Amino acid sequence: MAGFLKVLFRNVLEGPSTDPFPLGETFTPDRLRGRARINPELCMGCGICRHACTAGAINITPLSDGSGYTIAIWQNSCCLCASCRHYCPTGAMSISNDWHGAHPEKEKFSRLEQHTIKYEPCAACGVLMRPVPAALARRLYSATPELDPEQIRHLCPQCRRQEDAKRNAGTIQVTTTETLAARELTSAAPTTY
Amino acid sequence: MTDTLFAILHMAIFPGGIFALTLGFFYKSLDRRVEARLQRRVGPPLIQPWLDAAKLLTKETMIPRTACRSVFLLAPVFGFTGMAVCAAFIPVPGVYAGLSNMGDLLVIFYLLPMPAIALMLGGSASSSPFGALGFSREMLLMLAYETPLLMILLSVAMLVGKSLGAESSGAEFSLLKIIAWQQENGSLGFNPAMIPALLAYLLFLPGTMGVAPFDVAEAETELLEGPLLEYGGPLLALFSVTSAFKTFVVTGLGVALFFPGTISSWWPINLVCFVLKCLGLMLFSLTLVKSATGRFRIDQAFRFYVTVPTALALCSLILVWVM
Amino acid sequence: MSLDKTLKKLSVRSPWLFRINAGSCNGCDVELATTACIPRYDVERFGCRYCGSPRHADVVLITGPLTTRVRDRVLRVWHEIPEPKVTVAVGICPISGGVFREGYSIEGPIARYLPVDVNVPGCPPRPQAILEGVVLARSIWLKKLGLEE
Repeated sequence: MAGFLKVLFRNVLEGPSTDPFPLGETFTPDRLRGRARINPELCMGCGICRHACTAGAINITPLSDGSGYTIAIWQNSCCLCASCRHYCPTGAMSISNDWHGAHPEKEKFSRLEQHTIKYEPCAACGVLMRPVPAALARRLYSATPELDPEQIRHLCPQCRRQEDAKRNAGTIQVTTTETLAARELTSAAPTTY
Repeated sequence: MTDTLFAILHMAIFPGGIFALTLGFFYKSLDRRVEARLQRRVGPPLIQPWLDAAKLLTKETMIPRTACRSVFLLAPVFGFTGMAVCAAFIPVPGVYAGLSNMGDLLVIFYLLPMPAIALMLGGSASSSPFGALGFSREMLLMLAYETPLLMILLSVAMLVGKSLGAESSGAEFSLLKIIAWQQENGSLGFNPAMIPALLAYLLFLPGTMGVAPFDVAEAETELLEGPLLEYGGPLLALFSVTSAFKTFVVTGLGVALFFPGTISSWWPINLVCFVLKCLGLMLFSLTLVKSATGRFRIDQAFRFYVTVPTALALCSLILVWVM
Repeated sequence: MSLDKTLKKLSVRSPWLFRINAGSCNGCDVELATTACIPRYDVERFGCRYCGSPRHADVVLITGPLTTRVRDRVLRVWHEIPEPKVTVAVGICPISGGVFREGYSIEGPIARYLPVDVNVPGCPPRPQAILEGVVLARSIWLKKLGLEE
């Protein structure tokens, strides 16, 4: 008990260490996991976040006319695990440090992080598609400086494949049938019955 | 007739009634605030007990279907009445002499366990198993702490009675005479023979107030507040008022028994002096002990009271007897 | 102002808290304990006190997704609390079921059985967020008493 008395005495001398919070400001660490945010510029709608979400808080619904999709995070189901941020291939998911969550019951279902993302027509064939984000396209095609990422990102996968085929048609090395025949088979011969 | 009127006034305004309630609530809030400071917290505002009481008055009263209705409703009134009467018997040295000039120490001794008995009655009438457990613990604890209290009062009475000699028959049970004797011959708190009794009284305070480490009967984590479990609303407010009265009574009795010295003949100074002395007694033996200890088990608490304070009080009693 | 109104106005400054664990993992309960036990978040500043008996409570803090096993007990204890009371759902489990939603033993979200007044989402919420919830509960209590803040 004497040890306790020493502690108590020191406590009185040092004064209260209470955060003034609801009456004043409090300290928020930068990396605190609060509300999840979606960057609609970057989101491709691949759905890996929905797959990885532990609490099933993420929903991706295509629009009824097929012109886009809606991605939503329900804050009241988000368990702040940051799996979505970890698995998002385009870096569209982020966790802000906004922890102010208390709300009355009537706002329960309106606490959403929701974005409706519209598809755009392909520059070549006009089919509706989601363009590759500019930053991502720049990173993807940095090894091939002859391509303009700004142009290629507006092509649909089909057209991109065709473009690629046209571009690479002259550079593919074709091996002749003679050399093929001259080669010895390295694997076991197929069994014949 | 006038005597009765004065007695009622003393019970209603000073030192019982309004005065005791204000002081008791002030002590209670200060107790919470000082405890918060000892734990590096800020603590509630000083008017918090008043706010709590106001809140409880607006809440609905729920009576369990299986409870004994009349006893359940009357128990808090019973405890409150006991303490309200008892508060009028507490003399304020230099201001107020007490309600009676003979044997009032015995009256206080009989009235002091009233809140505990009310708690026991209420707890057992509530038909809750937690209430029954709280009842048995409260009773065990009361048996344990009433013995040293009786010995303390007896040693004080015998010391004064022996000194007064022929005027009294062996022991003096009038608080008025005890205070007058102490104002002439020095406070009993500084008398070497009475120091064990003073220590025993300081140890008696947390037990009778039911605060840690002796809050076994109302342990909120294990017994869900025990006898108070089924009480809510205005009835609980009455219990908190009773507890405020009791804080005033036990600290006031301690001041009257051990430190009744006055420094002035002007009454407001004496009153402030009395309030501060009560406050010191409370902060030392309730708040400090409460924030430095955990809770005893009931058997540990019982064993503690039948050994340490009883031995200390007995020590004083024997010293008084021998001297 | 009448005496009754004054008492009611004063009464919200003494919200006594009561915890109900409806099958929680104890994460939120620990955060509730920190609001009372850690000096930094001292909840006693608002006159709050964690009480042991449901009869003394004004603000009920419910944690956990309401499992089948505790459902009837939770409802029984909740009905023992005298009116007016404010129900606060702490953590995502009582609000939406959280990670346990649609589990075989989960009866929640708690709003199916009890009228919830305040939600404090988080897994677990920060102690400051719980304090925010208690302060919000006070204003809702005032509304329930018929007095707007």
